[in-house]
Amino acid sequence: VSVRSVVTFIAFVVIASASVAADDSLPSVLISRQLSETEHLSVGDVIRLSVSEDGTHVQQFRIAGVYEPTPDPARLGAVIREVQLHLPDLLNLTREPSTPSGGEYVQTINVALVDPNDARAFSRDVGARMPGVEARPAIGAAESTGPFIVLRRFHLAIAIVTIVASTVFLLALTIMLVDERRATVGVLRLIGLPIRRIIFQLFLEGVLIAVVGSVFGLVLSLLSEGIINRFFQWRYDTALVFVRITPQVAAICVAIAVPLGVSATVVASWALLRRSGLRLARR
Amino acid sequence: MNAMGFAWRSLVRQPARASLGVLGVAAVGALLFDMLLLSQGLVISMRGLLESTGFDLRVTSTDGLPGQGPLIPNAIDRTQSIARLPSVRSAIALRFANAVLLAGGPRGVYTSFQGVAGSGPSHPWSILRGRDIAPGRPEIVINENAAARTNLEAGSQVMLRANCADQEQALPPVPFTVSGIAQFPFDAPNGTTVATSLQMLAAACGGNESNDADVIMVASQESVGPSATAADVAQLLPDLHVLSNAEAVNRFERGGFTYFRQISTVLTAVTLSFAVLLITVLLTVSINQRLGEIAALRALGFSRWRVVADVFCESVLIVGGGGLLSLPAGALLAIGLDRILKRIPGIPVDVHFFVFQPSALQVHLLLLAATAIVAALYPIRIVARLPIAATLRDEVVG
Repeated sequence: VSVRSVVTFIAFVVIASASVAADDSLPSVLISRQLSETEHLSVGDVIRLSVSEDGTHVQQFRIAGVYEPTPDPARLGAVIREVQLHLPDLLNLTREPSTPSGGEYVQTINVALVDPNDARAFSRDVGARMPGVEARPAIGAAESTGPFIVLRRFHLAIAIVTIVASTVFLLALTIMLVDERRATVGVLRLIGLPIRRIIFQLFLEGVLIAVVGSVFGLVLSLLSEGIINRFFQWRYDTALVFVRITPQVAAICVAIAVPLGVSATVVASWALLRRSGLRLARR
Repeated sequence: MNAMGFAWRSLVRQPARASLGVLGVAAVGALLFDMLLLSQGLVISMRGLLESTGFDLRVTSTDGLPGQGPLIPNAIDRTQSIARLPSVRSAIALRFANAVLLAGGPRGVYTSFQGVAGSGPSHPWSILRGRDIAPGRPEIVINENAAARTNLEAGSQVMLRANCADQEQALPPVPFTVSGIAQFPFDAPNGTTVATSLQMLAAACGGNESNDADVIMVASQESVGPSATAADVAQLLPDLHVLSNAEAVNRFERGGFTYFRQISTVLTAVTLSFAVLLITVLLTVSINQRLGEIAALRALGFSRWRVVADVFCESVLIVGGGGLLSLPAGALLAIGLDRILKRIPGIPVDVHFFVFQPSALQVHLLLLAATAIVAALYPIRIVARLPIAATLRDEVVG
């Protein structure tokens, strides 16, 4: 397994800031968009950072850029006020006077592998060679995080209740719609059309209605996807995507909606067609 | 026969469609009821939990939540100063750490570890078995989960290795005696917790920062109230941050869990629109099938308002019947959904996402009433504008 690059990082928070004339010789930092907006800081400004509330051990830095923080569902609702420093600058700033240079620690080392498929093997190698250090593959980390699995189950449960309610209403509507055409169906029976032929016709109608309804539903969900995402992104000041209609989700919806619609039509029609043609045609 | 009785007979005449309509409203209503319970449930539950601890103020070194900021220096002295304020009933200092109980397996059991000191007559936990820790002795209380995983009971001896800093430490294990099994208010369902005195925790942490704590919890005098007490504490210790239960709940409300309130708002809106649309269609189709019958009633002398009242009463009966069924269905559904959501790691046992409150029931009934009215508007318009002669001719001749 070969390592392509190694990146270390530690989040850091501004303790004190002041905007003075830009100085290119100062070490550069990036600040989050939220920090830039709340403290009215912009690229080229000089800020002073300290690790203590009383403002001792202050160092000056120049803002080289403003970045949009990577969306993190675990920090939903939090105003992300962050400064990203080069690691040596951060260690210089945070090092205890008694700690010799090079004796500091970092919380995380992000590793990019040449072949991402080697992640599990690399993780095992690190565990075997460096006891006390845990290497976890990043792929699937979000999926394995407890809260999101729970939220997925919660949304699935709500979806099931919604489908049950829709099915009940659909059945009620199809019963009424089929009943409305009782006389027509009765006449068709009396002029000699077999039940199978009439059911096939109603089946085709059901398919058409269900397909058109599903397409309409998908278009509606695609439109609401943008509205919901924009609302929640505005509400939480984040770039996180809350709703995403993937082809897989669309396929599942159609796979549920079309058979459900067709079944409701056929079930309602079957109950009607069991009666005699004369009885159906009678006004 | 009055309008309600007439509407009842119209529905009973076609039991299948009436039952399906009522069942559909019940399912939608159950979801609506649950979303109303969810909208404030977590906040109400958290407020109840905070108040159940008996402390109404939390004093920390920064505006971060307890355990997330730096330690309060000289916490024991400061706790005593706070306790001497006339507006304060009691005050305790708490420090949080982690520990491994060297029992129940070769690697031991990883647990949260807290130390307490102060003037309070009781500690922030309830003893289930055994007795509470005695001051100055190396004793701990453990929760049920820790007891089950380590097979420890009151009176057992155990070695404990503390971890008191962000970075990994290799502190020597310290012997403790389990004095009792306790219940902690903020325990997660699978969480393990151990508690001792602040002095013993500091000793287990290597003796450093022995006078420091993460938070000082303050109970105000009932006659004074938390606001006045918070002002007294802030005046006494201006370098510390004082957070009342109400402020903590407010912060919690604005935090990440607002997601549930937002999602409940969205789902409430979607559910209501769904219900209005479907009941409108149900009533409209039903009315369209009975246009001849309604025109005949008008010809027989039924007034315009009377047939409008009939349609409206049908809507009320469908929504009312479904609404009544939606309450037990919603309660059952809420229990199931609460069970799902409580699997989120770190959620205390006593916190619930769906909490019943009378205001939720009132809003539920109001929304259902509005649904019945709005859903009936279009069919009412059809009935009110029905031309009697033309309809009778179409229905009879056509």
